Amino acid sequence: MNRKKGDKGFESPRPYKFTTHQVVCINNINFQRKSVVGYVELTIFPTVANLNRIKLNSKQCRIYRVRVNDLEAAFIYNDPTLEVCHHESKQRNLNYFSNAYAAAVSAVDPDAGNGELCIKVPSELWKHVDELKVLKVHINFSLDQPKGGLHFVVPNMEGSMAERGAHVFSCGYQNSTRFWFPCVDSYSELCTWKLEYTVDAAMVAVSNGDLVETVYTHDMRKKTFHYMLTIPTAASNISLAIGPFEILVDPYMHEVTHFCLPQLLPLLKHTTSYLHEVFEFYEEILTCRYPYSCFKTVFIDEAYVEVAAYASMSIFSTNLLHSAMIIDETPLTRRCLAQALAQQFFGCFISRMSWSDEWVLKGISGYIYGLWMKKTFGVNEYRHWIKQELDQIVAYELKTGGVLLHPIFGGGKEKDNPASHLHFSIKHPHTLSWEYYTMFQCKAHLVMRLIENRISMEFMLQVFNKLLSLASTASSQKFQSHMWSQMLVSTSGFLKSISNVSGKDIQPLIKQWVDQSGVVKFYGSFAFNRKRNVLELEIKQDYTSPGTQKYVGPLKVTVQELDGSFNHTLQIEENSLKHDIPCHSKSRRNKKKKIPLMNGEEVDMDLSAMDADSPLLWIRIDPDMSVLRKVEFEQSDFMWQYQLRYERDVVAQEEAILALEKFPTPASRLALTDILEQEQCFYRVRMLACFCLAKIANSMVSTWTGPPAMKSLFTRMFCCKTCPNIVKTNNFMNFQSYFLQKTMPVAMALLRDVHNLCPKEVLMFILDLIKYNDNRKNKFSDNYYRAELIDALANSVTPAVSVNNEVRTLDNLNPDVRLILEEITRFLNMEKLLPSYRHTITVSCLKAIRVLQKNGHVPSDPALFKSYAEYGHFVDVRIAALEAVVDYTK
Amino acid sequence: GSKHATTPADNYYLARRRTLQVVVSSLLTEAGFESAEKAAVETLTEMLQSYISEIGRSAKSYCEHTARTQPTLSDIVVTLVEMGFNVETLPAYAKRSQRMVITAPPVTNQPVTPKALTAGQNKPHPSHIPGHFPEFPDPHTYIKTPTYREPVSDYQVLRERAASQRRDVERALTRFMAKTGETQSLFKDDVSTFPLIAARPFTVPYLTALLPSELEMQQMEETDSSEQDDQTDTENLPLHMSTDDSGPEKENASVLQQNTSLSGSRNGEENVIDNPYLRPVKKPKIRRKK
Repeated sequence: MNRKKGDKGFESPRPYKFTTHQVVCINNINFQRKSVVGYVELTIFPTVANLNRIKLNSKQCRIYRVRVNDLEAAFIYNDPTLEVCHHESKQRNLNYFSNAYAAAVSAVDPDAGNGELCIKVPSELWKHVDELKVLKVHINFSLDQPKGGLHFVVPNMEGSMAERGAHVFSCGYQNSTRFWFPCVDSYSELCTWKLEYTVDAAMVAVSNGDLVETVYTHDMRKKTFHYMLTIPTAASNISLAIGPFEILVDPYMHEVTHFCLPQLLPLLKHTTSYLHEVFEFYEEILTCRYPYSCFKTVFIDEAYVEVAAYASMSIFSTNLLHSAMIIDETPLTRRCLAQALAQQFFGCFISRMSWSDEWVLKGISGYIYGLWMKKTFGVNEYRHWIKQELDQIVAYELKTGGVLLHPIFGGGKEKDNPASHLHFSIKHPHTLSWEYYTMFQCKAHLVMRLIENRISMEFMLQVFNKLLSLASTASSQKFQSHMWSQMLVSTSGFLKSISNVSGKDIQPLIKQWVDQSGVVKFYGSFAFNRKRNVLELEIKQDYTSPGTQKYVGPLKVTVQELDGSFNHTLQIEENSLKHDIPCHSKSRRNKKKKIPLMNGEEVDMDLSAMDADSPLLWIRIDPDMSVLRKVEFEQSDFMWQYQLRYERDVVAQEEAILALEKFPTPASRLALTDILEQEQCFYRVRMLACFCLAKIANSMVSTWTGPPAMKSLFTRMFCCKTCPNIVKTNNFMNFQSYFLQKTMPVAMALLRDVHNLCPKEVLMFILDLIKYNDNRKNKFSDNYYRAELIDALANSVTPAVSVNNEVRTLDNLNPDVRLILEEITRFLNMEKLLPSYRHTITVSCLKAIRVLQKNGHVPSDPALFKSYAEYGHFVDVRIAALEAVVDYTK
Repeated sequence: GSKHATTPADNYYLARRRTLQVVVSSLLTEAGFESAEKAAVETLTEMLQSYISEIGRSAKSYCEHTARTQPTLSDIVVTLVEMGFNVETLPAYAKRSQRMVITAPPVTNQPVTPKALTAGQNKPHPSHIPGHFPEFPDPHTYIKTPTYREPVSDYQVLRERAASQRRDVERALTRFMAKTGETQSLFKDDVSTFPLIAARPFTVPYLTALLPSELEMQQMEETDSSEQDDQTDTENLPLHMSTDDSGPEKENASVLQQNTSLSGSRNGEENVIDNPYLRPVKKPKIRRKK
């Protein structure tokens, strides 16, 4: 790859370029046979003389005829990925396959100027080519029963295709447009587009760009949708959805149109009613208009991914639609909408120069999505999310050995492979594992956040704005394809932009997190030196295990002392493990004094638990998560308890909760119970506290006093004042209470008595919750709540006491299990008559049945799950059933 | 028969019956019989009584049919004709020479039905009701005396009752469904204790999974009436799907209308929305390259 730094920008690997546009015309779509017939016309502009071969990408298409400037042209079609190992029978191993597959993908890689379809320029045109004149390549193709790229959904029932709700849409992972029409399937080859789709008159074809007109065919049975996309766009960002869609023009933004399958319009209205706020948010922070003249959302069944972003349109799973009664799905769907929109700016409008620049796009779109999260769901949710993402990437890298954001490849030799620890090549998006790519995106946005920490958010947004305004200037230029390269982002261009805008050198940061893989693993412990009034902090690193790297640089440590909270920046260097931090407070304290916290708040604390000699309440390492790291820090139980009670950062609270699992003491119990009851506390922290409390209660089972953990708390919060055994009729107006009400029974069911059984009292309590559950007066659906009550029942199950491996029959069924089974049977049967949203209850029932089987209460028989795994059940149900079936192999 | 204490009503009916027996006996004598078994006489008496009763019943029906209360001769005649009796022969039979005349039964008074226990004073007619109308019935037939039982207001009992009622209904319903349809079972040896209604794949699985059930819709309407408009919209939706035969143009127009009305409802004033998907479909040009 010849990537050059500097203003020249991008150089195409091909000896030709596209000029004005490419035409894609699909004039026949047959739903019955799942086939597509059409043609493409590419306008090609040779950049070198003696161009005699043109390579294009095309997979699974049948090419009928190729003409160049109206002359018949010979062509060769060869897709090496169809037969990766070439009858190789000796080396049947994953390694061999992986190498052969990477080679096959390389051989058709558009970014290296390759392709599956090789067209010979007719000799009559050679002279024409030598004069560097324009060539028009016209290709007729068809597609039968595609295995990828285009997905047909054709319900098996009576009626016309439109009545059946049959639809088809493009899908795929990364650049997979070649699956449905011949093109240069690269994110870096931009051109303008004319797209034509002739479909049944009862159907709608949704595609990229502006719908110019819709015209009937002569027999009036079909209509042709004409689309123009004048913004230069990569073929990989072209998409299509055809179906009998219901159309909703966004009431707030008339240039935005939403599409959904028949009968779902009310859900579509509710689901998309929020979208304009996301638009406003992004336009405001980026100080830039949405780049396309229109935007379309299409909700389809059997989606390949929940969210797929393409130029000026996004394809979503229909399962994201929900009504106003559904609580749990709402934030999830809104997140998907926001993600899709972020990718419209970075990913669709601004594309990438090469695969190794992918991290910039994923990073920026993920980062601005994070800003939206912060604004929409609040700082707590944002920090919780960042922590979650950080934990995920750290766990993945430590497990598999590293995610590299910006790989640089040498001459293609295997020993230059920058990621030799992986089973697959990271040279191409198509050779990656799905999980790796998910983690890659996760790391990319976390690194963007690190850059923000470094240069400030203001500069960060300025950089984005600069990228966008350069691109939009470029996009309005015509015929100057070298200008269009401003619409492609590269790592070097991005970094240059950062240094221009901020004047800061972030090279070390890039080197650490982008150019090399791995995360940092810290171990921290401390001692307080009373004589010197100094905190002796020891921070060790593990940088030899796979997936780790050595960190050198600043590290923030926050120490909460009696006199206040103090930040210290330590310099982590090669050989220094110990750091002396002077303390501000004298150990013996003024008892009446309030203690100032980091946020300026002053609180009264009961200090009796702490060490009389030390002024330290708690210590946090890297509290802002400005290193991609894992910290294992040792401090006493009372310090964790103080941290849980008084530290205001939700991440610190969650860390404290996890740490307290190791300290099953009455003091921990009290700290957790107090947090659980505190309404100002972030609901996710309270939910986490439930599970920790259950674990602690189990560890303390012999000394536990009082009713089972959380029971009286639940009774106080959610049961009737006059009859404490009956839960109040449902009212989920307060979402925080709702989530807590859902979680507490699930956690309580994990309690065990001295015989390691779930206490009868708890089981009866959960059964009563089910019995008295009354949703008639509720504005919201209780399907998720009921599903979690079934999860709770499943959690209460303990292994059956089996005598001589007897066969499980009804007669020897444990009476508690009989009660549980009674409920599951009723719930599962009621689902057939009154199905719940997304069949959440069926899903929970199936999981619970598998638990009963696994614990030996019910005969282990996969027949039930197999029937639920069949095609035709809702996807969540199928997944649950398949997971249960897979569980038999474990 | 002396064992039983007889009432005046019984006596009355017995006397009538005895007269009928005499009639039967005299008819038999007239026909030339010298003696008859008691059982035969009884049977014939029974037949005669039935016949006369039927004449009476039928005559009453005819008379009521013509909105009268007292039967007339013509009612009797019609009855007899209806019963297949040749009325023409009746006068001749009545005047036959050898007929025997029986003495009329002793006049016993029709027993009076014992008066029901009167409770209270019958209400007199109000002034606007003429006096010949029947009297008001006894007050006890229409006066109500409401009784009070302590209503169940105990919250716990109410909840308990609602919960168990719902559970019973659900259990009965699901059991019924399981009994009448295909089932699956968790235990090979027992299919009836925990019958699971068999899983049946849907042709369009997302519809049942995503759309709120009718019950929930109802609930939604109750809690939020502003949503109602949206729901009526959906009822019209299948329209544009099912008008295949009416020609594509018309069909498209209906889609168009619908959509403008949809978006128009939200922002009433801006009724012209320029969205390419709402524009009418163009007719094909005469000369179009294929």
